[in-house]
Amino acid sequence: MTAEPKVGVRVASVGILTGWGRGTAALPPDARVAAAGRAVLPLARPALEGERFRRATRECLLGVEAVSVMLAEAGLDRAAIRGEGTALLFVTAGAYGPSNVGFIGARSGTLHFPYTAPSALSGEVAIEFGLTGAYVILVGGAPATIDALWQAGRLLAQGCCERALVLVVEVFEDCEALWRRARWTLPAPLVESAACALLTRGESPVVYGAMAGDAGPLERAVDARAGRTLAAAPLVALALARAAGEPAARLTGSWRGRRASIELAVGHAARI
Amino acid sequence: MVTPLGPDLDSFWSGLLGGGHALTAIERFATDDLRVGRGGEIKKIPAVASGIRSRAAALLVAAGADLRSRARLGAAPERIAVVVGTALGGVEELEHALGHDRTPRRALDALYDAPAHALAQWLGARGPALTVSAACASGATALGIGADLLREDAADLVVAGGYDVLCRFVLRGFDVLRSLTREQVRPFDRRRSGLLLGEAAGLVLLARERDARGPRLGRLLGHGSASDASHVAAPDPGGRGLEAAIRAALGAADVGGAEIDFVSAHGTGTLLNDRIETAVLHRALGPRAGAIPVNSIKGALGHTMGAAAALEAIMCWLAAREGLIPPTAGFEEGDPGCDLDYVPGSCRPARPRLMLSTSLGFGGCNAALVLGAA
Repeated sequence: MTAEPKVGVRVASVGILTGWGRGTAALPPDARVAAAGRAVLPLARPALEGERFRRATRECLLGVEAVSVMLAEAGLDRAAIRGEGTALLFVTAGAYGPSNVGFIGARSGTLHFPYTAPSALSGEVAIEFGLTGAYVILVGGAPATIDALWQAGRLLAQGCCERALVLVVEVFEDCEALWRRARWTLPAPLVESAACALLTRGESPVVYGAMAGDAGPLERAVDARAGRTLAAAPLVALALARAAGEPAARLTGSWRGRRASIELAVGHAARI
Repeated sequence: MVTPLGPDLDSFWSGLLGGGHALTAIERFATDDLRVGRGGEIKKIPAVASGIRSRAAALLVAAGADLRSRARLGAAPERIAVVVGTALGGVEELEHALGHDRTPRRALDALYDAPAHALAQWLGARGPALTVSAACASGATALGIGADLLREDAADLVVAGGYDVLCRFVLRGFDVLRSLTREQVRPFDRRRSGLLLGEAAGLVLLARERDARGPRLGRLLGHGSASDASHVAAPDPGGRGLEAAIRAALGAADVGGAEIDFVSAHGTGTLLNDRIETAVLHRALGPRAGAIPVNSIKGALGHTMGAAAALEAIMCWLAAREGLIPPTAGFEEGDPGCDLDYVPGSCRPARPRLMLSTSLGFGGCNAALVLGAA
């Protein structure tokens, strides 16, 4: 089953932060070996200063940092994405977990409640970069990110935006005990990730499929080299494809028994 | 659908037309330590399927009971998609997982996408299964994405809508924000003093026009969204994001603001929301704005969060089909900052053809739907 929007998509930039470090060069050859028994590879809280970030959670700051890294990879100023022409598509499987656990345990202040919503993270990113365009917020694993990439293509094709950011943040450290209960379906290492892809209109059509069979080579490569990054996996795969100089990539992802795939032009970093 | 007004479409519609409300003392969990312990609680969720573990999934499946046979007859399983919106997902399961229940299943059920997958499994749908979590605008975006899946031929049928359940987590959250009222919920009224929360699920079966079989409820003509980029917890004072979302939805539907016959407003009953929304409707609808009926159903049900926009879309379609616009329960006295026609008192005979529904949520989320009569 496939769907092909009429206008193509081009990946203009991808920024990746994982528990291994920045970019694909930081990924080890074998994540399980490199983890050396650690269940979670965490990301540090970004050192972003300012009164505005006083209440922001680590997850929100990671979202801001991922966009900054993506812009740096592309050599772009933040003014390039400001305004209503940029759509923001945020995906996570569980980045709202630490806020929720903190609120239930009454460890956080009363004004913390809005940060329990997944939309708080994308909201903080929108405020920081002045993004006033369309948005989509999806919750799920890797297929949700593939859905978001398809949605980004649709928004571009329909002229709803000039460019689209697909942003993923996954954190595990604060809720490690809960994640470890699911270790039978999510074997270690769980690798915290914050990633952002910038998509613009391009020549190559997007091919999106909801039931695409087995894991593709990139999905297997991400699993082997990065470990479990859940919704971030397709963007890590995109970064790997770009690093390898591939002209196009077929991304696949699986979660809760559902597999999705998308094929799109990978492109190389360039001004927009 | 399942709402505090009853377990089906008829009870929802008759309850809205009556102008009363279903906001009662919450019985299912303790509220003694909260300022407000009332809301739109569903006292009994119809038991539709066995093996459903969470209340959120049970509510969602119950809402989809009438759709399962139609969906299964209408398309191959891999061509049936599920797109649901929620503000809270399975967060009540997280409360349990942090308490007495330490099973792996409970932990996985705490993830926000668990109820949507439970619904897809129960429906036998093997196409895309998406969970949208744009706070209280989730239901609108879910309907919009559902329509996109059909338009782009990624599915032949889509079960789309929204849900959320009341639990201590969310009641305590809105309680500490001082958003809840101890009085009657009065959207757009001079005496409005806040909202009450409700729980509900509303689902529709979406199909392309050419594929639709049997009676149709209505048409989804366009949707739009926009970020405020202003504040995480409060709407933009100028309503710029909401206006952009409305204009995007009107543009997608190829409809002008002056053509809208009826507006289902977000209308929470808070001081800020209702004033901002009124000002935005004036700008988006133009000189005719004062003549267009605008209602809010949150005085009857409470704010049902992820379900709200789906219920409001269904209400719009029913209004077009039945030729009646439900009143805004709780609205009695006008406010200088809220000067539209809010359908006070009783239901109004009218048969709108083009309708607008608006939604706002935490994180600066704004969404709008343009709906058409069948």
